[in-house]
Amino acid sequence: MSTSVNDATSIVSDLSAPPFGIERPAKLLPADPVTRIRPARFWETIDLRELWAHREVLYFLIWRDLKVRYKQTMIGAAWVVVQPILMTLVFAVFLGRFIRVPSDGIPYPVFAYAAMLLWTFTSSAILSSSYSLVTNSQIITRIYFSRLALPTAAVGVRLVDFMIASVFLFVFMIYYRVQVGWTIVMLPLFVAEIAVLALAVGVLTAALYVRYRDVGTLLPILLQVWMFVSPTVYSASIVPARLRLIYSLNPLVGIMGGFRSALFNLSFDWTGIIISVVVTLVLLAVSLQVFHTLDSSFADEV
Amino acid sequence: MKPIIKAANVGKKYYIGAREAARPTWRDALKNSVRNNAPLLLGRYGPHHPSIWALKNVSFEIFPGEVVGIIGTNGAGKSTLLRILARVTRPTTGGADLYGRGGSLLGVSTGFHPDLTGRENIYLNGAILGMKRNEISRKFDEIVAFAEIEDFLDTQTKRYSSGMYLRLGFAIAAHLEPDILLLDEVLTTADVSFQKKCLDRIKSVSHDGTAVVFVSHNLKSVTQLCQRAFHFHRGEIHEEGKPDAVIANYLRKFSA
Repeated sequence: MSTSVNDATSIVSDLSAPPFGIERPAKLLPADPVTRIRPARFWETIDLRELWAHREVLYFLIWRDLKVRYKQTMIGAAWVVVQPILMTLVFAVFLGRFIRVPSDGIPYPVFAYAAMLLWTFTSSAILSSSYSLVTNSQIITRIYFSRLALPTAAVGVRLVDFMIASVFLFVFMIYYRVQVGWTIVMLPLFVAEIAVLALAVGVLTAALYVRYRDVGTLLPILLQVWMFVSPTVYSASIVPARLRLIYSLNPLVGIMGGFRSALFNLSFDWTGIIISVVVTLVLLAVSLQVFHTLDSSFADEV
Repeated sequence: MKPIIKAANVGKKYYIGAREAARPTWRDALKNSVRNNAPLLLGRYGPHHPSIWALKNVSFEIFPGEVVGIIGTNGAGKSTLLRILARVTRPTTGGADLYGRGGSLLGVSTGFHPDLTGRENIYLNGAILGMKRNEISRKFDEIVAFAEIEDFLDTQTKRYSSGMYLRLGFAIAAHLEPDILLLDEVLTTADVSFQKKCLDRIKSVSHDGTAVVFVSHNLKSVTQLCQRAFHFHRGEIHEEGKPDAVIANYLRKFSA
């Protein structure tokens, strides 16, 4: 008891006369600064705790985007299934029926729709997170918060879309009487992995897009290429065995293969899955570091 | 007394010049990286790029409960200083230590989304400004009453007048209860009655111990509100002291 009184008096006696003698309330200030503002260094360590501290913002940014979308559009949620269904329809007719692309013994429309879901999520998540910093420049230049929340929220919004569009996947599976086995428990792991992958790419391109507007033009082209070098409309089994290892360096190979195996009760290609996890995590680490390095100049350049 | 803001030798350099240089393309980056031997993608500007010091060697201390006014002509570095203190941008040299939670209102409509209603924007904006959800709920009625937008709570903010925008923006920031409140030119579009309300609010938060840094071209409100004024000129503190004296010297420059 007495010590606390002593502490208080020691703080009060510490007060020197403030300039111009204004009567100020004795406010207890922390011994160490709450915030240290310093020049940006080239290499800075990432503080993921900050993103966690700003999780409320993350939640509100996702909520904002969803809310705005459903306010502006007539059929709201239904739009998120239009793209994968249309693409599946086209591929099912041309590749499934006319060319008879092998689909691991699974009815081709279900086989393609599963990958189209993943692909629609990946490409839309990457695109919207890439533009997220520039679109929200008004906020970035006026207020401080963890900027990582912007591309992360963009991925979060697309993940919600993905969940909605997944309902149709199960409708298709029931219609085509696809058997489900124990492997289905692995499904969330591949969804989590593809979300991390989209975040890793989106965070990197978002940071680069602030400085290099070329990214806006280049990205859609690269995404289109990426779709066709991934086992979206065909099975990875058509790739010759000697090239499989190199092919698996594309993390979508392991993820899409794993997702289908989990869904359709097929055997897992563990080598491919492990490679995809490693590539995804390395990419995430690199992206976060690049983002963090460029973060200090976003407000000046956006 | 211990300062709540301690700034030492704060400097901020901006690169200026050709437009394509301000936002380089990959071709320029490639060219420059060959020329300056800088890293390609994360490349910084070369040493010979034209630049301007928006702030130079600015040092000061601000104490809890103090209201400090910053005056100066356009381009004197006032807003740059506030942006640095608000952590929106980083200084090029020097630094500042803040011994409390900062809240800022740099420009009014920060984070407002035109398609969301006033109610929704209060929650969104509060979150971006660092308030927890239950904290916002607790302050909600107070914010609405202060902003005088009761009847427009469920109207999309794109239908708001600029005055309503301003009132809502200030109301949210003013109810954050920060230890340090940074205000940049926020009252310029407010009508007389709301200006008075804002000034009263600033006074009352400073009585509670909040340090307020207030950038304004409205010299009258600086005199009324501030215990101290900084006159910025070309990125430096030209003069510092009691508002009356600083403002008189500032105005004398133009009448001469």
